[in-house]
Amino acid sequence: MADNAAARKYDAEARMRRLMVEGLDGDSRAYRDLLSELSRCLRGYFARRLGASSADVEDLVQETLLAVHLKRASYDRSLPFTPWAYAMARYKLVDHFRRNSRRVHIPLEDAGILLAVETSEEGAVRADVHRLLDRLAVRQRNVMEEVKILGFTVEEAAQKRGVTAVSVRVMLHRSLRLLSRAVRNEDQ
Amino acid sequence: MKTNDLIELLARQAPAEPPGQAGRRLGAALALGGSISLGVVVLWLHCQPLLVAGAQPWFWMKAAFTALLTAVGVAMVRRLATPGAAARIAPWLGVAVIVAMGSLGISQLLSTPSALRMTVWLGQSWKVCALLILLLALPIYVALVFAVRTLAPTRLRLSGAAAGFSAGAFAATLYGLHCPEQAAAFVMTWYSLGIAASAAMGALTGPRLLRW
Repeated sequence: MADNAAARKYDAEARMRRLMVEGLDGDSRAYRDLLSELSRCLRGYFARRLGASSADVEDLVQETLLAVHLKRASYDRSLPFTPWAYAMARYKLVDHFRRNSRRVHIPLEDAGILLAVETSEEGAVRADVHRLLDRLAVRQRNVMEEVKILGFTVEEAAQKRGVTAVSVRVMLHRSLRLLSRAVRNEDQ
Repeated sequence: MKTNDLIELLARQAPAEPPGQAGRRLGAALALGGSISLGVVVLWLHCQPLLVAGAQPWFWMKAAFTALLTAVGVAMVRRLATPGAAARIAPWLGVAVIVAMGSLGISQLLSTPSALRMTVWLGQSWKVCALLILLLALPIYVALVFAVRTLAPTRLRLSGAAAGFSAGAFAATLYGLHCPEQAAAFVMTWYSLGIAASAAMGALTGPRLLRW
């Protein structure tokens, strides 16, 4: 299983690097294929960090694609493609948080994280969670995602919306009660 | 705009890009900034009589020290402006050059009678040396900033420091055409001070100037 994932990452790297070099040589079809494949990787990367429902995910995907385009002369053909693209994506993510004046630390991960594919099990669980969260009002849902899935503290979530920590706690409590009722109903 | 539309748009505006752009742009920046600084050296500071000085080992000692540091600095800038590339050897090479120069300077001082050591170390121009190097580094630094901005630095402070270091080292190479000093200890101290000041200028301004 782990070998499979590693092999898939290796294939993706080799393919994207080839497309990038062909694109730099003037092949616009290869370049379009590269951007399409890269946009899928980027969407996954940003969604895992901002929450899949965040409107910023697609903005960041586009900003990063544009950066890749404008900075493509800086790509060194003798180096792998993924770390180069990952550094761009991470830079844009840091920039995004800085603009929204939230101080967060984004760990410097292995560049392969950009190519990470969810296992089917993770995907199923995620789909379930999102289906459940869909039952909540938008505000409740966002708070739940931030605190329970992305791991922000209650205080951070409160600060972000300009409300008190107590009201965030109340919102979480109500959301959880609503969800557990929904799960009970589904199980019966 | 839909992401797919953006991709179509970008793919249509993607002319062929010859390899080696990063090196070419940095080289052009060094040439442009360097020729301004060279003009200042020649027209304002005036060169040593090159036929006489060029026959002296101390002239080439200074040239080699500063040229090697320039090469190290530019290699670091280039790495830092290419995301995902790690700078491994260049910093150590720089350390080796500085250690070698330091050892040479100390051994020269030790073989000098102690009454003369201060005179050798301070030379005639220690008060202006570092300042002039910093001044000559300015045009080179500005040109490098423009070049690095077209590439993709992701660690802005470090990139700024590396660009400042390169500009300082290259400025010191040009300053060597004018500088009359002959002692390794002088070069080690006052040249390095000017280069370090230039690197500090880069570290201070990099995060602001290099953002993209």
